[in-house]
Amino acid sequence: MSRLVGTVALLLLSLNSNISTARPVSYTGGVTLIEESDRQSTSLLVHFTPAHQWSIGLRGEHNRDQDYALYTLHPTWLAKRWFGANHQGNLYLHGGVGVATGVNGNPLGEDIAAHGGVMADWETRSLFASYRSRYLDAGHFGAQFVHAARAGFAPYIGKTGDLHTWLMLEIDHRPSERISMTATPLIRFFKGPVLLELGYTFSVNQPLINFTYRL
Amino acid sequence: MKPLFLISVMTLNLLITPTAVSENIGHSDAHSHQDVSANESDNSHDVHHHQSHSVHPVESESDATEPDGQATLTRTDEIDRALAAGGAPIVADVLGVVCDFCAIAMNKIFGDQPEVAAVYVDLDTKALSLVLSPSSSLSDAAIADLAVQAGYRIAAIRRDEAALGVAL
Repeated sequence: MSRLVGTVALLLLSLNSNISTARPVSYTGGVTLIEESDRQSTSLLVHFTPAHQWSIGLRGEHNRDQDYALYTLHPTWLAKRWFGANHQGNLYLHGGVGVATGVNGNPLGEDIAAHGGVMADWETRSLFASYRSRYLDAGHFGAQFVHAARAGFAPYIGKTGDLHTWLMLEIDHRPSERISMTATPLIRFFKGPVLLELGYTFSVNQPLINFTYRL
Repeated sequence: MKPLFLISVMTLNLLITPTAVSENIGHSDAHSHQDVSANESDNSHDVHHHQSHSVHPVESESDATEPDGQATLTRTDEIDRALAAGGAPIVADVLGVVCDFCAIAMNKIFGDQPEVAAVYVDLDTKALSLVLSPSSSLSDAAIADLAVQAGYRIAAIRRDEAALGVAL
C-alpha cells in the first residue's frame, strides 16, 4: 500500500526550496493545491484551512539530486498578519513530520523526517517581497537548510479577475550545495484561483515551475 | 546549523504575538456608519460609530467611489439583479486586499451566507460590495466576523443610501 501511495505521489511530482510560497493559509474551509519545482526538488502540497490562522496539509516531495522522496504532514501557522489599506504582510511558521524513502534505486531505505521554518511576505498591488527558510532533517538521507528571498513588481495593475502579471527575482541559498547561491528570474501569472510561476536558474540549468490552485 | 535554526525560530516566537482577531466590533444600527481605524498594526481595533450619512451625488458606476474617495457599491449584473429584487446594499472597506486570492476568499465566505444575494470584491476600491436577500439582515459585527474568517479586516461599513452614494 505504501509503495502504491509513493508511486502515485512520485508520478504527481514527476512534472519536474520547496517551501510553499503562495499563501500557505487560506480562508476558513478553503482547500489549496500547491506544486513547486525548483533546482533541486519537486513537491506537491494539498492543504486545508480549518481556521483562518492555520492550515494542515499532506506534502510529497521528490529530491531529484539525492534520490529520495519525502511524505509529511504539513501544518502552517499564520503567526501574524499586518493589514493596511494598500498592503498586506504575513509571518508564517511551518513544519512537518513524516518519512523519507529512497527512490530510483537508492538503497538507503526509509527513515523518519522532519522539517520546519519561517516565511514572511509583504505586498501591495504592485510590489512584492518575501523571505522563506526551511531546515530539513531527513534522517540518514541527510539534513539541509534552505532559505530564499524574493522581490518583484507588477508592470501593470489589473482589476479583480484580470490576468495579473509579476516580474520577480529569487535569490536562493543552500549552504550544503556545491553551488550554494543561485538567482532565478521568474514571471508570475495570476488569474482568479490560479497562480503560475515560470523561471529559470541559469547557474544550474534548472527550471522553476510553481502552480497553485485555490478551491 | 541545527542550533542556529532553533534559535532563529525561538527568537521569532518571542517577537511575535498571535494574530489579532479579537472582535471588538459591536452591533450597530443598520443605518450607521462603522469606522474601524485603519491602523497599520492589526492589533488595533478602534471602533467609532456615528450616525451621519454621506451626502453626495450618485456615483459613477465606472469607478465606484464617491468624490470624497469613499467606495460605493460596485455594480455588476449579479448585484443589479439583487438590488432590483429589493435587496439592501452594503459596502465594506477591507484592509489587506491586494490580490485575487483575497477576493476569492471574501467571495467564498460571504457568498455562502444565506443572507447574501450578491457579493463582489473590488481590488481597485478595496471594497466589499454586498446585496442582502430581501428581508434579510446582517449586522456589522457579523460582517466583521465573516471578514476575519476570510483572513481580512473590515475598516468601515456603509449601508443603503451611503452604500449607493445617493444624496439623502
